[in-house]
Amino acid sequence: MNQELTVFVVDDDQAMRGSLHWLIESVGMRVETFDSAHTFLDAYDTGRAGCLLLDVRMPGMSGLELQEYLGRRAIRIPVIIITGHGDVAMAVKAMKAGAVDFIEKPFDDEQLLNSLRKALEYDEQQRALQTRKAEIAARLAELTPREHEVMAMVTDGKSNKEIAAALSVSAKTVEVHRARVMDKTRADSLAELVRMAMIASTPP
Amino acid sequence: MTLPRFSIKVTLFHLLRRLPMPVIGILIGLIAGLAVWIVLDQVQSKAIERIFGRELSMRLDLRARESLIRFDQYMTNYAATTRLLANHRRLAQYLEPLFWFPGEIVDPVVYAGFRPFWLPDVFGRNALLAPSHVLLVDSRGLVREVYQAGDARLPEELTGNLNQWLGGLDEVRSVLARFDDQPYLVVSDRVEDASGYTMGSLVVLVAVDAAFLAASEGSFSADRSAVALIDADEQRILASNEPQQLIPGTLLSEWSDEYLVTSQSLPAYEGSNWNMLFATFIPQRIVTKMSDKVIDFERNQRLIAALVFIAVFSLVIYLVSARLNKVLKRMTRFSQRALGIEQPGFRGGGNQLVLLEEWMQHFTSLVLRAREEMRRKHEHEMRETEALKAAIMEASLDAIVTLNRAGAVIDYNPTAERMLGFDRQAIIGLDFVGTFVAPNDRAHFIGLLRESSRRGPLGERPHARTELRAVRDDAQLFPIEVSIVPIALEEEPVYTLYIHDITKRKEAEREIKGLARFASESPSPILRVNGAARIVYANAASQPLIRAWETEPGGPLPTRWCEQVRAVLEDGETLEHEDDLGSTIYALLFVPIQELGYVNIYARDITAVRRAEQESRQHQAELVHVCRLSTMGEVATGMAHELNQPLAAIVNYANGASRRLKSGQGDSAALVDAMAHISGQAQRAGEIIKRLRALVGKQQPIRSAVDLNLLVREVCSFVEFETAKLELQIEQQLAEEAIPVDVDLVQIEQVLLNLVRNALDALEERSPGERVLLISTRRVEDRALVRVRDNGPGIPPERMSLLFDPFFTTKETGMGMGLPISLTILEDHDGTIRAESEPGLGTVFQVELPVATEALDERARAGTPGLTDARPLMLIEQPRAGGTHG
Repeated sequence: MNQELTVFVVDDDQAMRGSLHWLIESVGMRVETFDSAHTFLDAYDTGRAGCLLLDVRMPGMSGLELQEYLGRRAIRIPVIIITGHGDVAMAVKAMKAGAVDFIEKPFDDEQLLNSLRKALEYDEQQRALQTRKAEIAARLAELTPREHEVMAMVTDGKSNKEIAAALSVSAKTVEVHRARVMDKTRADSLAELVRMAMIASTPP
Repeated sequence: MTLPRFSIKVTLFHLLRRLPMPVIGILIGLIAGLAVWIVLDQVQSKAIERIFGRELSMRLDLRARESLIRFDQYMTNYAATTRLLANHRRLAQYLEPLFWFPGEIVDPVVYAGFRPFWLPDVFGRNALLAPSHVLLVDSRGLVREVYQAGDARLPEELTGNLNQWLGGLDEVRSVLARFDDQPYLVVSDRVEDASGYTMGSLVVLVAVDAAFLAASEGSFSADRSAVALIDADEQRILASNEPQQLIPGTLLSEWSDEYLVTSQSLPAYEGSNWNMLFATFIPQRIVTKMSDKVIDFERNQRLIAALVFIAVFSLVIYLVSARLNKVLKRMTRFSQRALGIEQPGFRGGGNQLVLLEEWMQHFTSLVLRAREEMRRKHEHEMRETEALKAAIMEASLDAIVTLNRAGAVIDYNPTAERMLGFDRQAIIGLDFVGTFVAPNDRAHFIGLLRESSRRGPLGERPHARTELRAVRDDAQLFPIEVSIVPIALEEEPVYTLYIHDITKRKEAEREIKGLARFASESPSPILRVNGAARIVYANAASQPLIRAWETEPGGPLPTRWCEQVRAVLEDGETLEHEDDLGSTIYALLFVPIQELGYVNIYARDITAVRRAEQESRQHQAELVHVCRLSTMGEVATGMAHELNQPLAAIVNYANGASRRLKSGQGDSAALVDAMAHISGQAQRAGEIIKRLRALVGKQQPIRSAVDLNLLVREVCSFVEFETAKLELQIEQQLAEEAIPVDVDLVQIEQVLLNLVRNALDALEERSPGERVLLISTRRVEDRALVRVRDNGPGIPPERMSLLFDPFFTTKETGMGMGLPISLTILEDHDGTIRAESEPGLGTVFQVELPVATEALDERARAGTPGLTDARPLMLIEQPRAGGTHG
């Protein structure tokens, strides 16, 4: 697991903060604790990978409010909600707002840690995907408009001759464009090119 | 009555007068009958003779014809019998061996006096006279065998020329012949032997003599008529059936005086040797006798008829006269009694009709006299009546006016004069309607006038009475009441008006009406009912009430109020009741008016007031309930959250520590630190619990001496809402005497309420009909006991020990603090609580408290330790104030 991944704990209760820090650290994860939503928002750099462990009930900005705030800002850090006994309604709200999990107090440590692991993994994947997307986007940016057209047709599964007919150029020219696309995108095979096109076209 | 002398007519009349009517009747009857009889006897006798003569000749003719037919029939029978004989088996058998040679001369075999084999006795069997001879003749006409019955010899004339008498081949032949002046019947038929060979003929010879004729006529000649065969040429009798009277050989003319003779020719018998007639003789005297008989009979009949006629006629006359007698007597009595006149004076009997006539004359004169007398009497009475009427008219308090048919005044009394303000001379002949009736009322009055003289279907007069306004001579209007009496006089119908000035009455009525409007204008319902509880008056505002009672003005009150009405009328006391009609509530005030037998009911709609009261009560109960529930819930949630925090922290520290120890990475200083945290958090949890206990226990209770029964009652009233929902009535078995306890009444109520609620919760599992909740109080020496018993499902034994532990609960919404808190409260009061339960049967909670040493507080005695003061809420408000969340 990437060392950079951090579990951000936000809870107003000192004892809970301390004990969670103690527990999560015991399995070797990086932990940072905050006593309120504001302190977290002040300190948090959106580029940092990890997950957020949130107490629902807090004075000031509550856990749900924080979750909503992050959502609005398109900060896609995975959120796990800690609820008190019987706060089912709140848990449901949190899940609807996009939390990856919720945990009821007092909780089973294994369950908590599993949840955290999953959340971190998810964040890592997401981030890797974003990185790759950015990379592909950068490479595709180098293509000329004509090369873009050719690439779109190639990834659509059209043959050189079809492309040539569509663009009113010779097959030879298409060959040249295609080679140039492969070169610029650094795709080893047609399959990879298709995959790149798909990644690039997925919404952020 | 004087008798005029020397007048036949008068003498006759006198005689007539003396004879009673039945005698005259019989005399007239006799004379009339005699006359009729004499005339009829002449005419009728002749007529009968004529008719009879015609009838007789017809019958004679018929009779003669019948005789001839019989005779002829008799002969035909001989022919038939002869044929039978000729074809008889015996004859055929007899002839079989015989053969008669033609031409041989033989003497015939004669059987004299005995019948040969071939001749069976068929004549006797057929009721015919035996023939004198029977001959067998061969085909040439020679006699071969002869049967001879008597001494008589076979006539020579016959045998001499026998063929003349024989028939043809196929048919029998009958001939009437005359031999030696004696008529014979000769019948012949062909004879064959058994093999069908024609042997000759069989000839039967019968003498037509008296016996023959008698036999032919049978028993028919009972009327002494006779028959005979006559020689037509000589007009001589040859044979008769009565030879003693009609001697054969005599001439027919000799008998014409004695007999009526009808002679007929016989049917043609072929080959007869003479001319014969068949004659019927009927004695003359038989005919005469019969005719006389009929005439005599007829005469008798006529005589009887005449007698009956006389008898009936006399009877009728007698009855009429008897009836007249009766009428006369009755008239006499009537004249004596009714008219007081003396008897007309007819003594004894006499002709009733004449008497009647005389009496009528007498009576008429008497009646005329009486009428004259009556007329005088009547005139006298009339004068008296007139005087009386004038006096009445004079004295009457009402104005009396008489109008003629045209409506003009023809008479009126002094009161009318005063009332209408006209003097007598001016008013007579005036048009009453135009002068005295107010213009608006004229049409009505004229209609009434017309109406009054019309008779109803039973001849009764309509009651023509009305109120209208009249005009005085000073043009002033005033109300009157008029009663119209039509008098149908012969010459002209007139109307008598009785007029009453009702000015004062109208004023009084207006006054009363004005007063009566109080009731009708009242916005509250006001009703009046009679003794039978029927509504006799209801003002407009009482419509909704009457509708709600489902009755109507004139209808009865609801049954529940009928009794009240009766009671109020009897006592004369005013009563007030409330009537809850669901949507509306009325306060009803029953005020009796005994002298009239009425009850006035004043109703007031108090729905709004009652609803407000009820709502406020309900709100209060609901508020208390809601407060209690919500605070319990919040306390529970808050406490759970608060306890969760340290517990979760402890779990986390412990888990973190154990993971470190497992992986061997933890340094001891960090572990110790974690342990310190664990113990710190545990203490924090302990603190929370302590705070909770303090919350309940720490409050300084306010003690006061109250009646335990009162507390129980009040608690029961708190849960009325719930018990109603569960369809259950709490059964209270409270000690009769007050049980004083020195307690914080809010806390103890809290305990009792808790127990009752638990019981109610348990009872929810029972079906509505089976739920029982019993609260009893009792004093045992210096201890006060309260028992709350339910028949819920009970508590399983394994849970009994946990009952008073905090947070032990079986309810989904409970937090398990009720019983622990109760226990704490009771311990605080030196009391105890105990539970007994039998699963399936129910649970009993028993609370025990020390009895107070001092007397009950005045406040408690007054009975309102009330939930209305703020204290019960304090208990539940405190944790909210003190609790920290999050």
